[in-house]
Amino acid sequence: MKKFLFVFALAVILTLALVGTASANGGPHGGYTATTDACAGCHRAHTAVGPNLLIQTSTYALCMTCHGTAGTGADTNVADGFFLSTRSTSTHGTANTADNAPLLAGGFTNYKGVVVTSSHDATGASGRAAWGNGLTNRGVAVNISDTQFNCASCHDPHGSANYPNYRIVKATVNGAAVAVAQVDEAAKDYDTEGWGAGQSNLCAACHGAYHKTAAGQGSTLDGTTYTHRVDMSYAYGANANPETFGMSGYFLPLAESGTNNTVACQTCHLPHGSSAAMTGIANGGPTGAGTVPGDTTATDSALLRLDNRAVCEVCHQK
Amino acid sequence: MPRKVSEKTETPQTPVETEVEPVQAPPTPVDGQPPILEADKVDMEQEIKEEENRRKRLLLLLLLLLLLLCCVCGLFFSYMMKPKPLPEMVPVVNVNYPPHYVFSIYGMDQPVGVALSPDGKRVYVAETGGDRLVKVFDRDGNPLFSFAPPNTSSPERSPVYIAVDQSGRVFVTDRLQNSIYVYDADGKYLDTILSTDLSLMEYVSSQLGGIPAGTTFHYSVFENKVHYTVPGQEPKTLPPPEVPQWDPLGIRFDNGGNLFLTDVSGQDHKVHRFMAPGLEIWPTLYFKPEVFSFGKTGQNPGEFLYPNIALVDSQNRLYVADGNNGRISTWDLEGKFLFEFGEGTGDGALSLPRGAFMDERDRLHVVDAVGQNIKVYDVSGPEPVFLFTFGDWGLDDGLFNYPNDIVLDQNGRLYIADRENNRVQVWSY
Repeated sequence: MKKFLFVFALAVILTLALVGTASANGGPHGGYTATTDACAGCHRAHTAVGPNLLIQTSTYALCMTCHGTAGTGADTNVADGFFLSTRSTSTHGTANTADNAPLLAGGFTNYKGVVVTSSHDATGASGRAAWGNGLTNRGVAVNISDTQFNCASCHDPHGSANYPNYRIVKATVNGAAVAVAQVDEAAKDYDTEGWGAGQSNLCAACHGAYHKTAAGQGSTLDGTTYTHRVDMSYAYGANANPETFGMSGYFLPLAESGTNNTVACQTCHLPHGSSAAMTGIANGGPTGAGTVPGDTTATDSALLRLDNRAVCEVCHQK
Repeated sequence: MPRKVSEKTETPQTPVETEVEPVQAPPTPVDGQPPILEADKVDMEQEIKEEENRRKRLLLLLLLLLLLLCCVCGLFFSYMMKPKPLPEMVPVVNVNYPPHYVFSIYGMDQPVGVALSPDGKRVYVAETGGDRLVKVFDRDGNPLFSFAPPNTSSPERSPVYIAVDQSGRVFVTDRLQNSIYVYDADGKYLDTILSTDLSLMEYVSSQLGGIPAGTTFHYSVFENKVHYTVPGQEPKTLPPPEVPQWDPLGIRFDNGGNLFLTDVSGQDHKVHRFMAPGLEIWPTLYFKPEVFSFGKTGQNPGEFLYPNIALVDSQNRLYVADGNNGRISTWDLEGKFLFEFGEGTGDGALSLPRGAFMDERDRLHVVDAVGQNIKVYDVSGPEPVFLFTFGDWGLDDGLFNYPNDIVLDQNGRLYIADRENNRVQVWSY
């Protein structure tokens, strides 16, 4: 116990000491001075009611005070997956500039004006297993601290070593190093892509079994499954650019657009939540089936970015 | 066949214990005991009478207690079935002590905005969870009705702040629709303000060359179309109106009917002042109120970072709850920056000011969303004076879980939107 208290006290002291040198992208998420009063916005030194000296027991509720649907303190409304103000003028392609500036990460409650059909449960209510957290698609519980998944599992509200990264993605997620470059630092806009290499590392921190990057993974048996490759440069043809040409009005974003054109996890999946409609075979199984990892009859949209299997067709166009 | 009834009649009677009645027993010797004397008999009779009296008194007491219990239970269940607030508190008094908690209004999901009708008898609440409706309650907390922008589903709307003008019209800012919806006092949709100089009615009228009586219309940014239906015709659409980017957020009327609106669009967070004359005659086919705007985004003095509510005091000084800058900035009505307060540490320091309200004595009430309290300043003098704070974080009565907005009535009642506790708390001076 004494050892724990010592480590905790040391962590607090180091945190406070480093506050003055933290760097991020301004606003309440960084740019702190030695005499900043920003800490008091979220923390209490002696009267905190939540872990990490938070003034709230729910990290999700704290984040939603600015990033909720009311938009009273931010334009990034992650509840509705919507950027609430002026769109960026530095567009990368149609996939990134859809009407009404939906966030590229999706929404936790709604997306594009429709209730989500799948989403990450970031309320901290559970420490659920993650698909692909293990050798197969049968997930086991992730090792997120205190076993609860919330906003701070992936994002660091103080900025991180991934700076410059306007999405303040953490440098370490679930014990795994996550290095994310951002190629669009000047734009700093959530409705544009600005993704660099490493985006898949964020997902792989919990869904590691799906992080296959070698060529030919789709035809190579790995354990009991074959897996679509990610982090690959996609040399699309002149009429198959998924960002601008797409298929029948459907588009997909690529990381490092215009340079390496990289397919990342987020090319097909929305990290926060998706309202994509799943019908017919794409629905996956009997009505009412569960969505827990290991249940191969899941009926939700699996965070897929587009309706049914449009994520396949936009690139492969069969 | 033998009848069982006959068997039953033959069953011997179970011995029944009966009380001995000593007063009736003759004073004969029993088992060699001495006979009972006459004096003892009198004593025994007296004791028996006293015992009977005691029993009667006890029974009466028990009956009274039972009656009292029934009354308490009745009152309790009556209150639970239909909670009634405490009797009206005294009107606004000339004292500077914190108010006290009275009761809470439930039946809403994540409320962020709250407003009152001019007579104070209706409480309008904007909820950002659940069905995302504007819900209306009477001042005792009983639900009356609710309303929402026409032809929108809950994921398509986000009502945030509410203001009610002197005629009872209800103005609601909507962050997802980038609009101000206007309703009559009973929630009937009237029109939508699309920018500082364009309303939806005006736009439809300009496109159609006038609006036939009974025409309905609505605009959705998600569909990027204006829908309208002329009576007797099929529904039709119009292209979306081209308006400059704006993001209406906080909204308040002053006593003169002027509308103060904060705008958090793009690079320019600012304040708009809609002059009363242009609003009072509206809605008509023309929406051309005189508007004065000022402000820019930033963290320096005189700049805004997500300003929420803007309101004026009796001396026509304008106060802006400058949310992410954690301060109140003060201006004259021509947009000249005067001073600011609430930054830093110590008493009166603000963390995240959101909703605000000015009472008749120029006491500025500011909701500190992450401070989980309400801070009150006396701004009647040349410099603001911090008076007191009330509230703290928690889930129980009188505690807040991310409060966001506040409004006061003329009787000293305060209505506070308590977002994560899904209620509006009612306090009183």
